[in-house]
Amino acid sequence: MSDTYFDDENYNDGFSEDSFQEGIKLVLWKRLFGYALRYRLDVGLLMICALAVATAEVAFPLITRSVIDAVGSEGAGIDLGFYAALYFGFCLLLGVAVGGFFWFGGKLRNHVSHDIRRDGFENLQNLSFSYFDFRPVGWLMARMTSDCERLSNILAWGILDLVWSITMMLGIAGAMLYMDVKLALVVLSVIPVLVWMSLVFQKRILGSAREVRKTNSRITGSYNESIMGVQTSKAFVKEAENLNDFGGLTDKMYGASFMNALQAALYLPLVLILGSLASGLALVFGGLEVVWGAITAGTLIAFLTYARHFFDPIEELAHWFAELQMAQASAERIMSLVMAESAIQDSQAVRQRMAVTYRPGLAIDGYDNAINTIEFRDVSFAYDVGGRILNNINLSIHQGENIAIVGSTGGGKSSLVSLLCRFYEPSAGRILIDGIDYRERSLHWLQSNLGIVLQSSHIFGGSVAENIRYGDLSASMAQIEEAANRAGASEFIESMEHGYLTHVGEGGSSLSAGQKQLISFARAILADPKILVMDEATSSVDTVTEQYIQQGMAELLKNRISVVIAHRLSTIRNADRILVIEKGEIIESGNHAELMRAEGRYYKLYTQQSLAEFAQQSELWQQHTE
Amino acid sequence: MIDRTNDHLDDRVKARILWSLTEGYRLTFAIAIGSMAIGYVFMFAVPLVARFSIDAILTPEAIPAPAWLRQLALWLAPGDSPDMLVYLVLAAIATVALTAITGVFVYIRGRCAALASEGIIRRLRDRVFDHLEHLPSHYHDRADTGDLVQRCTSDMETLRVFLSGQIIEISRAFLMLVVVTPILFSLDVAMAWLSLAILPFLFTAAYFFFQRVKTLFTLVDESEAELTTVLQENLTGIRVVRAFARQAFEIDKFAEKNAVFRDHNKKLMALLGMYYSFSDIICLGQIGLLLLVGATWVIDGSLSIGTLFAFLTYEGMIIWPIRHMGRVLTDSGKAIVSIGRLSEVLSEPIESQNEHDPRSRLAGGVRFDKVTFGYDATNTVLDGVSFSIEPGQTLALLGPPGCGKSTITQLLLRLYDYDYGRIFLDGWELSALNRKYVRAQISIVLQEPFLYSASIETNLRVGRRDASLDDIKEAATDACIHESIEGFPRGYDSMVGERGVTLSGGQRQRLALARALLKNPPILILDDSLSAVDTDTESQILAALKERRQQTTIIVAHRLSSVMHADKILMLNQGRIVQQGTHESLRTEPGIYRQLCEIQGAIQHQIERDVFEQVDES
Repeated sequence: MSDTYFDDENYNDGFSEDSFQEGIKLVLWKRLFGYALRYRLDVGLLMICALAVATAEVAFPLITRSVIDAVGSEGAGIDLGFYAALYFGFCLLLGVAVGGFFWFGGKLRNHVSHDIRRDGFENLQNLSFSYFDFRPVGWLMARMTSDCERLSNILAWGILDLVWSITMMLGIAGAMLYMDVKLALVVLSVIPVLVWMSLVFQKRILGSAREVRKTNSRITGSYNESIMGVQTSKAFVKEAENLNDFGGLTDKMYGASFMNALQAALYLPLVLILGSLASGLALVFGGLEVVWGAITAGTLIAFLTYARHFFDPIEELAHWFAELQMAQASAERIMSLVMAESAIQDSQAVRQRMAVTYRPGLAIDGYDNAINTIEFRDVSFAYDVGGRILNNINLSIHQGENIAIVGSTGGGKSSLVSLLCRFYEPSAGRILIDGIDYRERSLHWLQSNLGIVLQSSHIFGGSVAENIRYGDLSASMAQIEEAANRAGASEFIESMEHGYLTHVGEGGSSLSAGQKQLISFARAILADPKILVMDEATSSVDTVTEQYIQQGMAELLKNRISVVIAHRLSTIRNADRILVIEKGEIIESGNHAELMRAEGRYYKLYTQQSLAEFAQQSELWQQHTE
Repeated sequence: MIDRTNDHLDDRVKARILWSLTEGYRLTFAIAIGSMAIGYVFMFAVPLVARFSIDAILTPEAIPAPAWLRQLALWLAPGDSPDMLVYLVLAAIATVALTAITGVFVYIRGRCAALASEGIIRRLRDRVFDHLEHLPSHYHDRADTGDLVQRCTSDMETLRVFLSGQIIEISRAFLMLVVVTPILFSLDVAMAWLSLAILPFLFTAAYFFFQRVKTLFTLVDESEAELTTVLQENLTGIRVVRAFARQAFEIDKFAEKNAVFRDHNKKLMALLGMYYSFSDIICLGQIGLLLLVGATWVIDGSLSIGTLFAFLTYEGMIIWPIRHMGRVLTDSGKAIVSIGRLSEVLSEPIESQNEHDPRSRLAGGVRFDKVTFGYDATNTVLDGVSFSIEPGQTLALLGPPGCGKSTITQLLLRLYDYDYGRIFLDGWELSALNRKYVRAQISIVLQEPFLYSASIETNLRVGRRDASLDDIKEAATDACIHESIEGFPRGYDSMVGERGVTLSGGQRQRLALARALLKNPPILILDDSLSAVDTDTESQILAALKERRQQTTIIVAHRLSSVMHADKILMLNQGRIVQQGTHESLRTEPGIYRQLCEIQGAIQHQIERDVFEQVDES
């Protein structure tokens, strides 16, 4: 799980926290409350619980007041049973309400985060690849996990605390005013100062907390880099320098964390002192009123108790108000993911056609299901950032044809293939499937007719069978075994301890590169796509595996359109047509013999490649082992 | 995500480690805890002032004021008997003053706790970082980066929270009890017993509850880890998902884990709700009991109303921290696990550091004498390898994958220590030389070099930090990368990595070569490091290297073109040298090198035939 510790602050993509400092974004919050409102009933019950808790907490000092006054005025004659019943009644109410508080709050919090995560995930499945190009996996993960959790925490507990704090403070203020208006006003005069101070402090505390988090993610990055690059550090004797640089970071972290703790350490006593000021005021004025007989001793005690408790919610409230900004940052980050629109999606017209009832024999978008020719017509392409990758490509591929693409890195080979798969769309020009622009066809239809085998074969955690079945979810075990057999993978799979049910570990960690490749072949064979696209791996494998790979390749390419970014000589030589792509253009095209005769770029590439390949051939070396 | 099972140290060892970590900060911790105790003494005096005032108000004829207070009141407001107002103002001032003093101590507590905990953590962070960089390659080969980073960050954070919060929290509850108990007993013995009676039960209940909830915490952690795994697999494999149009399948898979995570969390919240609901009833019930029993004692005159008020206030102060103790102790349990995981890393032995450092530049002579080595006990990778090169010469190593070529270079860097035989650098026995000295004398360029996510210039400066821009450009020019760099929008300031320019394999290799050249060492090793560079560029680079001629060069390669100009060529197979000589001598000698050359001829032949066939057909 080397990606999970990435923090968003590492990635400045214009969504950095600083850009969220100002202003409350109403659209965003409206959308967020939409999530909470799906659980209207729970929100309502949560509010009722919060109300009940606050009511009970306000009631206890009032009961105490009555008891003390009754003791003072009636002496032995008082009915303690009544007060006991009242007191324990409220006790039970509070207990039940607190339970409900957690129950409904927990439910709301977890359902909201569940729903946001679900929507985020579903949207991610449909976003186009351009979205993923400049957003590392770690960045996306941080949004889907920590931001989502933080946001739903704030949504549930923030609302809850808000309701509780406000009812509690209103309740206390109300009770004080009910008992004695003047005294209440005197005691409450401390409040504005307290609120102001709290806001000032919480803002500062939050600022330093943000600094702490930023530095923390840099420290994480440093650890990561130092572990990944430990060989390099050693080879360049960078240990002391690295530690020195890192020491600078930890110093910064120390400074920021210390500042953060200090602000909190300063805030707490100030609240205490202001609170005591309120108590002192209550004592002086309340005391005098008792002496004058204006209020009872019970009332004074109630005032003293309220003055103590009035300040509990203030802290919470100030905290949440300050947190709101951070919540907005989190919200914006996760919502940007939920609301992002795919750059590539079915057009309105396509969707309308797909809505029309399905006709047997035709594709879901109402056109012919077969694919006979694919044609690139004056296709140019550039990524959102950077220069042109492909320039005026003209190409047509026919049913059953095997195409090999060769050329140097960065020449545009992968981009050409990505366009074919409609992972991207051309910046200019058109790609036609049997004469129809593929933007007028269903994306899902095209992609479900594609089979793609990538250079680094992605293997999911789970069993071998599950990985192969990914090609066709309805496949039977027999079909899976047949596909594996045709791919040349059955031998090594059957030799494993649990055969097809062997678990391959996260990312296929227990398999070799060659084995992963064979499994991905089997997966593609099972899928039986109309078009096969492949980025051939270069990894060196042993001779036996190499033979299987050749066999699997041949099987895979049979009877369909295939486009292979080729590295192996055998693949290249056997292709129906070879395209040499350099600097975004097709500079040579033809079969092996034709291109050799031309003695151009291909000739040069081929001679170099054959030398390197022969020099690595293991049989050669085996002959010479005594 | 943290694997909590690989925890081999017992708690006593961990307590000792924790104790040793606090070294240098123990006094600061003591001051924090001490000032907390003093703070409580003042804080607990506040209800006494209120008690006094209330009793004074209710029975003004017999104000229970000590003589000095009466004197003070008289001095402030001369008269027969001091006015009640004076007493009340004094009480209010006392309340604020006592709280202010408490505040000062609270601040000192917070400051000291922060000083100590942040200081300890800063030191530990540096120590772990330094340790990781000095652990032997054997360790890093086995270690899982993600897990290590988790230990350095999450476990470190758990420990930090423990040091800055939980230690203080635990001592807080005990200190409160220590300070408040004498006060309560001096006020009223019967009431004191009544107030303290419930605390042991509450504490025990809290402790056992949270011990039980711990398993649920683990379940939540696990389901979160599963959710993250599905998410990560999906995101890293997004191209496969699309390629097979399996979005719906993935959504279902995620939905399942998402729901499990939600439900575990809900269960946890429900249990916590039950606990807090139950303990609230107990705590408030206890206060209610105090109130009602106290009321009967007030009625029969054995207790003053002021004292009852003081008891109610004290009870409110001490009961809530105790209720939280269960939670605090459970969290502390997590900290103990984290300490274990961190000390596991720290207890790994590092590379030896104290060998001889000659401090002079090597000439660059290398000699291997019957060197035998294996990465583990069962496999021998090098088997009695002997060869030598003179300073300034070029040595080429050829052989199939796994024949031991790279191992030779790694032994030279002292990344691993050889088992048998001897290696000499200019006549120094390698194992007697300081590792850092040896590595400073050698530059290595790997096939897949590691670049930092920093600017290109910073990456090049890894070779020599104080290099001038001209030096940097010269090295880049020799490595045939200068032009490519100039072609980037921000030139040498372009960032490498996810946020910056995407470099091709060949560009990365050439950048690493430039970095190595900048270091300008007596020995340069190219470990298959031009494999992604095309042959034209390669020969250009090799020519530039020849021109520099300041260093001994060791080239590991697959292509004949890379090795044919070397002063000496070693053919390795299965850990042994099967042939050695120059291109000229080996070309004529029967053996594998000649065969390679013949294949080159054969390829030429094949190519001619291909062309010929084509001619035939047409």
